[in-house]
Amino acid sequence: MLDHPWIDRFASLDSPIHRFDPRAKAITFLFLIFSIVLLSAVKLALVGLLTSIFFLALSRLPLRFALRHIKWVSLFIIPFFIVMPFTVEGSEIYGVHGLKVTYEGVEYGALIALRALSAVILVLPMIATTRFEEMMKALERLRVPSIMVQMLIFTYHYIFVFGEEWERMWRAIESRGFRLRTTLYALRTLGRAMGMLFVKSYERSERVYYAMRSRGYTGRQRTLAEFNLKRSDLVLSTLIISIGVILHIIQMEVM
Amino acid sequence: MREAVTTRNLSYSYPDGTVALSNINITIHEGERVAIVGPNGAGKTTLLLHLNGVLESTDGEVKIFGKNVNEAERSEIIRSVGVVFQDPDDQLFMPTIFDDVAFGPMNLELDEDEVRRRVKNALDRLGLTGYEERCSHHLSYGEKKRASLAAVISMEPRILVLDEPTANLDPKSRTELIGIINELNREGVTIIVTTHDINAVPQLVDRVYVLNRTIIREGTIREIFSDAPLLRENHLEVPEVFKLFEMLKCFGYNCEELPLSIDEAIKDLTETIGTNGGHIHLHIHEHTHEEMEKVKHKYRYDHH
Repeated sequence: MLDHPWIDRFASLDSPIHRFDPRAKAITFLFLIFSIVLLSAVKLALVGLLTSIFFLALSRLPLRFALRHIKWVSLFIIPFFIVMPFTVEGSEIYGVHGLKVTYEGVEYGALIALRALSAVILVLPMIATTRFEEMMKALERLRVPSIMVQMLIFTYHYIFVFGEEWERMWRAIESRGFRLRTTLYALRTLGRAMGMLFVKSYERSERVYYAMRSRGYTGRQRTLAEFNLKRSDLVLSTLIISIGVILHIIQMEVM
Repeated sequence: MREAVTTRNLSYSYPDGTVALSNINITIHEGERVAIVGPNGAGKTTLLLHLNGVLESTDGEVKIFGKNVNEAERSEIIRSVGVVFQDPDDQLFMPTIFDDVAFGPMNLELDEDEVRRRVKNALDRLGLTGYEERCSHHLSYGEKKRASLAAVISMEPRILVLDEPTANLDPKSRTELIGIINELNREGVTIIVTTHDINAVPQLVDRVYVLNRTIIREGTIREIFSDAPLLRENHLEVPEVFKLFEMLKCFGYNCEELPLSIDEAIKDLTETIGTNGGHIHLHIHEHTHEEMEKVKHKYRYDHH
């Protein structure tokens, strides 16, 4: 069995964020993410990061699960933090062999890292606390174009199907004595297997399309869902939006 | 009886020019149970896909309840003909079973209450109540198969087309699925299946078409199973019970019609014992060996 990368594995926990209406959740968290990403003062970005951590804690998602997702994105953030101090012009704080670390560089690097990290952290309480299909229905109710929602649904579903197909192929390859090494032969075999997966996927997509047409699919898609805004949803929404707005008001005052 | 499915001179070639179907003429009446059998690559699936207009013939016509599939309103055909695909992974794609089973009814633009009613019925019927929020990629093959049938019967089709319904199922799931298909048939649904599961044929259908690019033969199960050369040419076989009783005949067992299923065998044995004063008599006579070799030879594929 494939280790499914279930982003919604912990969607059935209970927390204020889990109980939050998916539509309100999507909108308010996106708003907060954008307001933090658009901050230009390091101190405020730090507040943004703390806010994100607060919401992550509030969502009661297991720390290991959160760290696992944050870890990978961090790999993209860290290079900025390393490169920026050397490349941004400004007052030197440390120099070595003609390379100088500038105060502005450190500040700018920190700003980028803080904002990116906040955004990544906030995505978790936004997405991982709602079952995937509920989030899709929420997007549909929010009038996100149907074709985009459908693409997300298909992608999500067929990641598992193709993952399993690939696993089956790979097992068959390995059980005939193949070991992956860095030889040209091994790489060629790997390439062919991947090519085969594409062909199989293409053929499957044709069968899936037939099956969908057989059930009357015409390109439009509707699903059934019931969403009701509760008072607590309004309170939480107001809180999240306010944080975003206040951060920017403070920023205007400071600058 | 109304004609449910009629094809006239139906032909189909793949885009590369390979002929898949040629000159297919079939007539299936409402409420009938019919199997389409034939070797691998005979065009069985291709034929099924024509029955609801998903594939359009290059030549000839398909009529559903007298309406030409290519001319009628698509939704009307879809409403009448439900197709269950062989691989449930091709059929199930929505995030939850509920959405998958609701997908067809939603496309028929039924109102919400009706959609919910149909989903509930379909899931009940297939023993999938409680599976509403599960996602298909975490189910077992048997469950997926049932879910894909639920996803089709929620559209309440008058004609149910199933491609290899019993393939890859464990014996329990297989028996249950056959039961459900027959239950639907008793409610008036016309059943059309393709299958290689020859032991399931007597349980599933009354009439058989042998397809090998074109219709080779049509007949009752008994007519088809009694034609050994036809079976051999089309890579078919008869049920084991049928063979066993043919063997018993070599030992002097008297039976006019060879039984097609265990139930028929029991009936036949009971009757024979009854008319023979409480027992059956088997013996080896001078031709037993010779006749048995003939029967064995008739059904063998492993020597030439």
